[in-house]
Amino acid sequence: MDMLLSRVEKPARYIGSEWNMERKEVYDFRFALCFPDVYEIGMSHLGSRILYRVLNDMDGVYCERCYAPWTDMEQALRAFHEPLFTLETKSPLKDFDIVGFSLLYEMCYTNVLTMLELSGIPFLSSERDESNPLIVAGGPCTVNPEPIADIVDVILIGDGEELEPELVECVRQAKREGISKAAMLERLAGIKGVYIPSFYRPVYENGRYARTERLNAHAPEHPVRRVVRDLDTAKYIGRQLVPHMQIVHDRVAVEVMRGCTRGCRFCQAGYIYRPVRERTEETLLRQTRDLVTCTGYDEVSLLSLSTGDYSELHTLLPRIIDDMAEQKVSVSLPSLRIDSLLKDDLEKMQTVRKGGLTFAPEAGTQRMRDVINKNVTEDDLLRAVTDAFTAGWCGVKLYFMIGLPTETDEDVVGIAELAGKVSNAFYRLPKDKRGSGFRVTVSVSTFVPKPWTAFQWCAQDRQEEIVRKQQLLKTALKGVRGAELHCHPSVLSVLEAVFSRGDRRLNSVLIDAYQRGCRFDSWAEHFKPDAWAEAFEANGLRMDEYAHRERAIDEPLPWETVDVLVTPAYLKREWAKAQQAKTTKDCRQGCNGCFGEHCEDYCRV
Amino acid sequence: MKIIAAFEKTKELSYTSHLDVQRTLQRAFRRADLPLAFSKGFNPHPKLSFATALATGYTSSGEWIEVELDRDVTPEDFTERVNAALPKGMRFHSAFIADDGFPTLSKMLVAAKYIITLYTDTPVTMEELGSAIRAITESEEVIVEKKTKSGIKPANIRPEILEAEPISASDRIAVAAIVGTLNAAGGLRAETFARALFERLQTNGRFTAHRIALCFEGSDRLPRLR
Repeated sequence: MDMLLSRVEKPARYIGSEWNMERKEVYDFRFALCFPDVYEIGMSHLGSRILYRVLNDMDGVYCERCYAPWTDMEQALRAFHEPLFTLETKSPLKDFDIVGFSLLYEMCYTNVLTMLELSGIPFLSSERDESNPLIVAGGPCTVNPEPIADIVDVILIGDGEELEPELVECVRQAKREGISKAAMLERLAGIKGVYIPSFYRPVYENGRYARTERLNAHAPEHPVRRVVRDLDTAKYIGRQLVPHMQIVHDRVAVEVMRGCTRGCRFCQAGYIYRPVRERTEETLLRQTRDLVTCTGYDEVSLLSLSTGDYSELHTLLPRIIDDMAEQKVSVSLPSLRIDSLLKDDLEKMQTVRKGGLTFAPEAGTQRMRDVINKNVTEDDLLRAVTDAFTAGWCGVKLYFMIGLPTETDEDVVGIAELAGKVSNAFYRLPKDKRGSGFRVTVSVSTFVPKPWTAFQWCAQDRQEEIVRKQQLLKTALKGVRGAELHCHPSVLSVLEAVFSRGDRRLNSVLIDAYQRGCRFDSWAEHFKPDAWAEAFEANGLRMDEYAHRERAIDEPLPWETVDVLVTPAYLKREWAKAQQAKTTKDCRQGCNGCFGEHCEDYCRV
Repeated sequence: MKIIAAFEKTKELSYTSHLDVQRTLQRAFRRADLPLAFSKGFNPHPKLSFATALATGYTSSGEWIEVELDRDVTPEDFTERVNAALPKGMRFHSAFIADDGFPTLSKMLVAAKYIITLYTDTPVTMEELGSAIRAITESEEVIVEKKTKSGIKPANIRPEILEAEPISASDRIAVAAIVGTLNAAGGLRAETFARALFERLQTNGRFTAHRIALCFEGSDRLPRLR
């Protein structure tokens, strides 16, 4: 171990032994919870923290963690012919019953291959038998499981709190009985939320996906996304791991609710985590106290897709802040909605520690915001920032997207104009009422159409067009006092668009690209666009076809084999309304019918 | 109240950095319900300071710290409670309460003792190890490349070496004990000595370092040089 650790830049990524790490002596089932990115990112993932608890609370099950090795560790492992190992017991992944990956971002797929290869596990499920661990994948990416369908044995769609224990029990029982892998997969196919890709075969006609054939009668025609009905009683993190090294989200995480009622049309999370489920105030207070006590953290974050929409926020927030202030623990809300933000809350938060202030108008003009159904007005934003500036903040970060459907140059320039108004809102305040060193950071990403959104049919803007729009914005921002522009590189978002809406043919492209050296594609220093281009070419496929082609509204879509509850019919209605810049109301104000016939069973808002 | 105590850092935890250790201690104190006192002012920071930092990758038997706590506690209670809240691989010992006016640890620090283990590419005998160490201790100057802000420069580390002796040598593992100066301004780095030793043994390889003790002057409650 010393040999390996002394050769890498950040050895603390691989040592484990964190406070609250699970140690077990007696177990008969081993689960490797894998995250295909570095430790600092994987350790920050809320879902993995929950699953670590859920699985380790099972009798006889030992769940250990493994993260993607950074390139220096990969080289060291190869040089010494050592397998990749888990943090808890330093065991190779081959020794586990289940190797499960959390997939949060398509650009991590190559790292899955690194982790399999460094464990001596064959890439394709068809090349693995009973002697190999069962390879499982879950997480938001699996709502389109096709681009990894040849690699993973079992795909989990939806919430994992109840699904993962059912998976483990089923596999454990199958192993006790000594049945074949094929027979075990048949049993697993019966669990709600499970998709066994090898039981389905996509058919292509004229070079395009046409339909899916079901090959096994045990498999449901459309596996349905799993939903935890009662979040309040669902298992939570319990004893949160406290890392030695700094991680991206290095604080106590409390999930106040899951799902979002807003219906922003670009937002995949907004569609695939429906319906909204809240935890009660009392549960949240108790979880916050317990987590702070058992971790020693001095910062708590109240997480959700839109914490400002939590129904009891204005009673919860003062209670948590007071409770935590005694222990000098600060409270932050990562996702404030402009319209839900109250001045009192701001002032309250400021008494503990002044964090950064971030708003996401997403688009620069009202027309564009109506298209994406981001129901926020310019007045909302200006009122919110003026409140914040009066309360002492002197910097604000604004998130936008460019390349949205129906976008014109006017909409792009609108971003700069909005930033200008925010800047004016600051400088309009009397000098003694405002801070100094004002900054308005304009962070602009490139829109990536995602499956299971109203924009799943859209063509993504071509790279040249994105670069032109970025330039246009840069020019327009000149003269805005305190403005700073951050544009995300657009090359990567093309590949992201390809894999988001990809079909099963991408599996061979992925493996090919990996063999050409692609790793950590989301890290600019490792991204190899040329190698990816070669991999597509070699497999006779075009990125253009996946990223830049508008799909016909009645075209079969490869991800529609699974059922994520939100219906294609609803998405079609939303897409039609978007093109007319018509908004859809927040579903707390009345049902918009997004679940179709599933509504009765799954949504009781 | 101010407590002075030493902790050991062993096994895998040696691969955590000085900053990591600071964070780990702060959180462990909170878990132990022994809250650190915070400085006043715009950006409050905990009143916790180290005699010195330990390089990432080194193990140690005694890293000394001083902490100001918001609550009174006996040294025994302190040690017991913090140890129950520390991850495996870190453990406190030798705690005592510092009277008012007790000088800061970094001002009293004078030297450090290490065991250095060289894993050499070629076999080394005890005689070879002994003569290589003598070649260092008996010369007037030991010039090594030192990294400074303005690049790599040659520097004479001989004045920083107080003692050095061979401990064992078998096949490709050579062990030496060294004592070097160490204070707030700097001092002998075990790594520098290890490199000088590799050079004189005319071989390469990797090394590990274990800090046996930090040595202080000005208080009989702290370990001394002699």
